[in-house]
Amino acid sequence: MTNMNLYSRGDKMFVILNMVLIALFTLSTLYPFIYIASLSMSTGFEARAGNVILTPVGFTLEAYKQVLSEPQFWNSYKNTFIYTIGGTLMSLAFIIPGAYALSRPQLYGRRFWNLMVAFTMWFHAGMIPFFLNMRDLGLLDSYFGIIIGFAVNGFNIILLRNFFEGIPQSFEEAARMDGANEFQVLWKVYLPLSKPAIATVALFCVVSRWNGFFWAMVLLQDDSKIPLQVYLRKVIADLSDDEEFATSLLNAAYSFETVSAAIIVCSIIPILLIYPFLQKYFSKGILLGGVKE
Amino acid sequence: MAGVELKSIVKAYGAVQVVHGIDLDVQEKEFVVLVGPSGCGKSTTLRMIAGLEEISDGELTIDGRVVNNVAPKDRDVAMVFQNYALYPHLNVAENIAFGLRIRKEGQKAIDDAVEEVSGILGLRDYLERRPADLSGGQRQRVAMGRAIVRRPKVFLFDEPLSNLDAKLRTQMRAEIKRLHKRLGVTSIYVTHDQVEAMTLADRIVVMHDGRIEQIGTPMELFLNPVNSFVAGFLGAPPMNQIKGKIVAGSNGPAADLGGQHIALAPLPGLQNAVGREVIVGVRPEYAQIVTEKQDGAIMGELDLVETLGSEALLHMSVGGAPFVIRTETLGNINKLEAVKGFTAAPELIKVFDAKTGMALSGQTRVE
Repeated sequence: MTNMNLYSRGDKMFVILNMVLIALFTLSTLYPFIYIASLSMSTGFEARAGNVILTPVGFTLEAYKQVLSEPQFWNSYKNTFIYTIGGTLMSLAFIIPGAYALSRPQLYGRRFWNLMVAFTMWFHAGMIPFFLNMRDLGLLDSYFGIIIGFAVNGFNIILLRNFFEGIPQSFEEAARMDGANEFQVLWKVYLPLSKPAIATVALFCVVSRWNGFFWAMVLLQDDSKIPLQVYLRKVIADLSDDEEFATSLLNAAYSFETVSAAIIVCSIIPILLIYPFLQKYFSKGILLGGVKE
Repeated sequence: MAGVELKSIVKAYGAVQVVHGIDLDVQEKEFVVLVGPSGCGKSTTLRMIAGLEEISDGELTIDGRVVNNVAPKDRDVAMVFQNYALYPHLNVAENIAFGLRIRKEGQKAIDDAVEEVSGILGLRDYLERRPADLSGGQRQRVAMGRAIVRRPKVFLFDEPLSNLDAKLRTQMRAEIKRLHKRLGVTSIYVTHDQVEAMTLADRIVVMHDGRIEQIGTPMELFLNPVNSFVAGFLGAPPMNQIKGKIVAGSNGPAADLGGQHIALAPLPGLQNAVGREVIVGVRPEYAQIVTEKQDGAIMGELDLVETLGSEALLHMSVGGAPFVIRTETLGNINKLEAVKGFTAAPELIKVFDAKTGMALSGQTRVE
């Protein structure tokens, strides 16, 4: 077989341009990770001097020792897990039945309810009314407030609803003929058939909860309840303004830059660990609802 | 076992009525086939019996109990779907057992039932397989297994063989027939395939535009269709229908088919009918080939010969109308290309009113 020239000059140029752009995009995405990891493993002096560019300079794990020996770090880590796991479970508990109900042709006022859910995707009450609402409900400074307050997301409901709508109706009818009630149809037929969609929605929830920063900062005053992201912000904000602390670090093996970087690395490790296993669902989920299989 | 009775059943979607007050009495253990073209309302009727569609008006009775407002799960009927509707995440055994589990039967009872049903349907070697790993015929068997394992009062089949290839369809048709003989469960079967209807049914219900055209045994419908629609729907190839006019023949009534006369039986419906516009119906298998002009023969032009092995289909044109003759090839093979017309026994010719389509000729006896 000879290698036939199937591509024109323009095609080749297009492919090369694509590869260059993808390489640049990959680098721009990857570099912050590499930089932060290198920073966290460099000495405080080199970090402050701005000598860290690609690899650790004066390799040391002192910043990690400092971070891991701080009880507040572990407490925030625990809080983040609570908000992530509790919040994701709570979200699924609302989103799945909601999406199922909206996918049922027999739902009374179905168009209206769908519109109401979609409405929330574009219009929000705003920060102050939401804060006042949470305050009046007694949900400030509470684990439950963070978990329940952001449990329902219109986008995820519509995503899952579209998937449910794509499941042939005959499965439901067969289950009903077999004696299943509405809940059993959902639990025993629709949920097992919707694993990829549910995994996608769960992943969206996990990522959003894990990275959740703003509302936790607004709603939580009690340091013992703040998640990792708020703790990180606190470390950066507090220590960077603390001249005494900065002076004490002059000859230390770590600095607030390396400590902050170490916290960031610690905070992204769980997501990095689970992402490869869920990546297929994640990319599949982006297409959900766009194409009926 | 139970009978099913439909009294003036109506189905309407808003202002659009799709089933217009049908009456049907399905006897206990009977196998009734609803047949008709697409959109005739047969599947809608079946789904109303199943409880998957609401009944707009009329009364549905199963085993003497009015079930109009009874949920599907409480009607004690089982249904086999056109696309099988097997749960893809469950294996064969779990699919068959699904209904029993929902009804919270004991594990021992479930195991025994799955064992028995899989034995009946020849599925014992496939119990651990998922539906995706089964052939079309095996999936159809699993769908039937899921239906029969609950021992329902009534089986409903919604075009269960339409997704299978021709060979498998023939095989599965026979299996369904055997299964019905063995279990004796009242069955209602929907199809648009008249061969399935003829081979499976104790009685056939021919539907058209949301109405029942005729109910009867396969041979009653085949020999004595009440109208030209039923005549044209049942039979493969269907009955030939040529427009004509009643004339007085030398030995009784005849029909003028564009200048050629065909003798008809002297039946009551044809008395005093001279001059009436009619449709003359001749089944392809009741037409006898002729190779030269003769008295009483209708002559035409041969367009095409299709040889099927033991028989052949001759496609002719009679006065511009298409006409098909089915004839045996044995002894005829050399003269098929020379066919110039046909004759038909008067008692086997059907006559329908040209305007209403209703049969004018009398009954052909089923013997």
